[in-house]
Order: sequence, then C-alpha cells, then structure tokens
Amino acid sequence: MKCEHIAELLPDYLQGNLSPDQHQNVEAHLEQCADCSEEVVIWTKLSLLPVDQPGPTSRARFEAMLLAYQAGRLNQPADDSHWRKGASAWNWNMFHWLRSAVGAVAWSAALLAIGVFAGLRLAGPKPPSLDLAAMQSELASMKQLVVLSMLQQQSASARLEGITWSTRDQQLDPQVLSALLHTLRYDASVDVRLAALDALSRRGRQPQVHKAILDSLQQQSPLVQVALIDLLLEWRDPDAAQRLQALQQAPNLNPTVRQRVEWAKSKLN
Amino acid sequence: MTLAPDEDLMLQVRDGAGETLGVLFDRYQTPLFNFYSKLTGDRTLSEDLVQEVFLRILKYRQSYRPGTPFRAWVYQIARNARIDHFRKFPPQTALQPEMLPPVLPTDSAQEQQEVELLQRALQQLPEDKREILLLCRFQELKYEEIAALLGCELNTVRTRIHRALQDLRKAFHQLARGTMLKKAEAAVAENIPPRGGRHEV
Repeated sequence: MKCEHIAELLPDYLQGNLSPDQHQNVEAHLEQCADCSEEVVIWTKLSLLPVDQPGPTSRARFEAMLLAYQAGRLNQPADDSHWRKGASAWNWNMFHWLRSAVGAVAWSAALLAIGVFAGLRLAGPKPPSLDLAAMQSELASMKQLVVLSMLQQQSASARLEGITWSTRDQQLDPQVLSALLHTLRYDASVDVRLAALDALSRRGRQPQVHKAILDSLQQQSPLVQVALIDLLLEWRDPDAAQRLQALQQAPNLNPTVRQRVEWAKSKLN
Repeated sequence: MTLAPDEDLMLQVRDGAGETLGVLFDRYQTPLFNFYSKLTGDRTLSEDLVQEVFLRILKYRQSYRPGTPFRAWVYQIARNARIDHFRKFPPQTALQPEMLPPVLPTDSAQEQQEVELLQRALQQLPEDKREILLLCRFQELKYEEIAALLGCELNTVRTRIHRALQDLRKAFHQLARGTMLKKAEAAVAENIPPRGGRHEV
C-alpha cells in the first residue's frame, strides 16, 4: 500500500474508526514508511501539549453576565413569557440592552434604599458596626456587578455610564479593572476608550495598573494613542523612550501619532 | 449518579432555566479557552471570547434544536465569535513564541523540549490547518461534525487533517534540526579555549 492510499485512511486510523482489515493494512504500511509513522507519533505527542487554564475571574465574570442578563429580562414583563416559556424567537436589539442597563442600576439603587432604610429602622440605638460593615461590603459587590454589566452593554452611552460608575469607588476591584483595561483596548467606540483611559489613569499610581495602561499603546485608535503618549510624558515613565521607539516602528502607524511620538521623544531629550 | 448530557442541559437553558448554563460553562470554559488561546496566543482575548460565546448561547438559545449535538453547536458559535471579533479588530501582531502557555516541567527534559518544539511548530502552521488539528485533537469533535462546522465534505476534512499533520511533522523536524545544530555549535564552542588563553598560562 502506498502513502497516498494511507493518506485516505490515516485520519480514521488515528481516531480508531477503521475496520480490522483496514487497520491491519495501515499498521503494515507504518512499519515500512518512516514519514507516515512519524505523523502518527506527532499526533500522539499532541496530547502532551499543556492545557491552559482560564484566569480565576472567568467564572465570576460569567456569573455577573448571567445575573445582569436575567435581571434585564425580569425587568421586562412583556418579554418574561419568552424567557419562561420559550414560545417565540427573541429579538435582540440595543433597546433591550439599554433597558437592562438602566434596570440594573435601578435594581441596585432600590436594594440600596431598602438596605439603608432597614438598617436605620432595625438597628436600634446601638451603633450597628458589624451589620454596617456587612452592608457596605454587599453594596460594594453590588456596585461592581452593576459596573461589570454596564461595561458589556451594546449601547456606547451605557458603557460610558458604567465607566463613570467605576470611578466612584476608591478601591478598584480586580474584575472591574480587567474589564476597564479590555474596554481601553477593544471597545468599538473611541469615546468609551478615552473615558476608560481617563478612569484608569487615576489609578496610575498602582504599578500593575500603570504598566497595563501603557501596554495598550499598540492599538487601533490614534486618538487613544495620542492620549497615552501624553500620559507617558506626564508620568515620566522610566521605559518611555523604549515604548515610544517600539510604537514608532509599528507598521501603518497613523501620521498624527507618528508626529506625536517625535514630539514626545524631543521632550524626553 | 450519572451526569446529565449537555444536550438536556441546553434544552433546559432554552426553556428558561438560565442558571443551568453554569454547568455547561464549567464543562466548556477550559476547552473553549484552550481552543482560542492555542489559535490566537492571546490569553485576555481568549477569556473575552469565552464570555462572548456564553452570551451568544443565551442570545440564540431559541435556535437550539433538540437532537443537535451541543459540542458541535457551541463550536459553531465559538468560530463565529472569533471571526466576528477579527473582522472588527484585525490582528496586528503575529503569534510570538513568548505568547505561548508555559510548558510545565515534565518527567524528562527531552519530553519537555519536544513539547516546546511541538507548540512552536503548531504556531507556524497556517491558521486553518492549526484550527482543524485543534478541533479534532483537542476538542474531540467527530469528523462529521467538523465537516458540518467548516461547511465541507467529510473526505475534504480527512484530506485537510492529513495535510495539516504532514505540515506539522515537517515544521517540527525543521525546528528540531535547528535546535540540534545550535546545541552542536554550543558544544563545539565550549571546547575551544578562549582567545589569549595561551598567554595567560
């Protein structure tokens, strides 16, 4: 049997789909043919490649998405029957997303109001420090949820609103931080990217945030690139010269950005 | 206790039990993440695309029909999500070896080196060849399912897999030869006394 005949059978041989006769024929050929038998070896070795694990926040992001999705659905009585009964195909459009964003905010605001009211009414004369701490932490996680869900909205204005929300907390949750960094790199709207940069640059003193922001220099939007170059100068980044050099060598660099890089380099010198 | 089949869970999701999707997420997030990370070499993007797949499952859950193998359905969504992403944001950087996941220490140094070479060889393949190998070797899709996914004949899938494997073998050997040459050169260099050594004696 020749290699070209084996070529037809080899993929099925690898998956154990051949009849005993065909299997035997392939094995006989493999004993004589170094190339074909090496292909089998390579196939086997592929199983040695390491399995890469997703980051620890992946499950939490999924849950936030699911929760935001369900909250959005439950806020729309007219559509509730679709979700419950699955009766008809559901139309996905930006208004649903908009509503779900506002719904998420309203929902968390209502919970906040109930929480504060209950706290004031039930706490009694003693200072309810433990309850208050628990309530504050719950409130913080609620805020994160709102921010995360808003950053994933289809409407740019909802995403902008999400960014504004993210700036209200002194401490930036790692999940929110990762969502903001993603927005800075990949968001379809330049305005949203710029707003994300603005929100992130306030946290620039944290070294890992600092680095992650500057790492997004290589990106699609010239406006964001220019803003990042300015930030590079403002922060007196120690690697500024190196980063500018790398950016200057990027293919298809926008002329305005190139000018800005040259300007920034002259400032550094 | 036997695990509920993916298809039954997906039907529950379709009929309103959104929380059941969490079970499917736990089953599929790692395979999907590996599909993306081995294809693109970008961890952050791969995580985002996994989230996008599950969002799309929710969005399009009504289009899931009983009897459709869930695995094949979800990879159809996964392929589309990636295609849509790169349509919006064309990739700017080619895969770099340093973007590959680290190889965990294994029993033998030789095996570790082989895995590294194999990873690099895989990254050298054109994307369609890399994808078909990932689909059949790592995602455990049947050839019939891959044919449906790629919209081609079953025999075409077999031919493509064979060609991809041929290319992978060639790339692997080329890299292995390069590594051996480097090692040989290093060994030779070690045996040469440093310049001026004689004067120092």
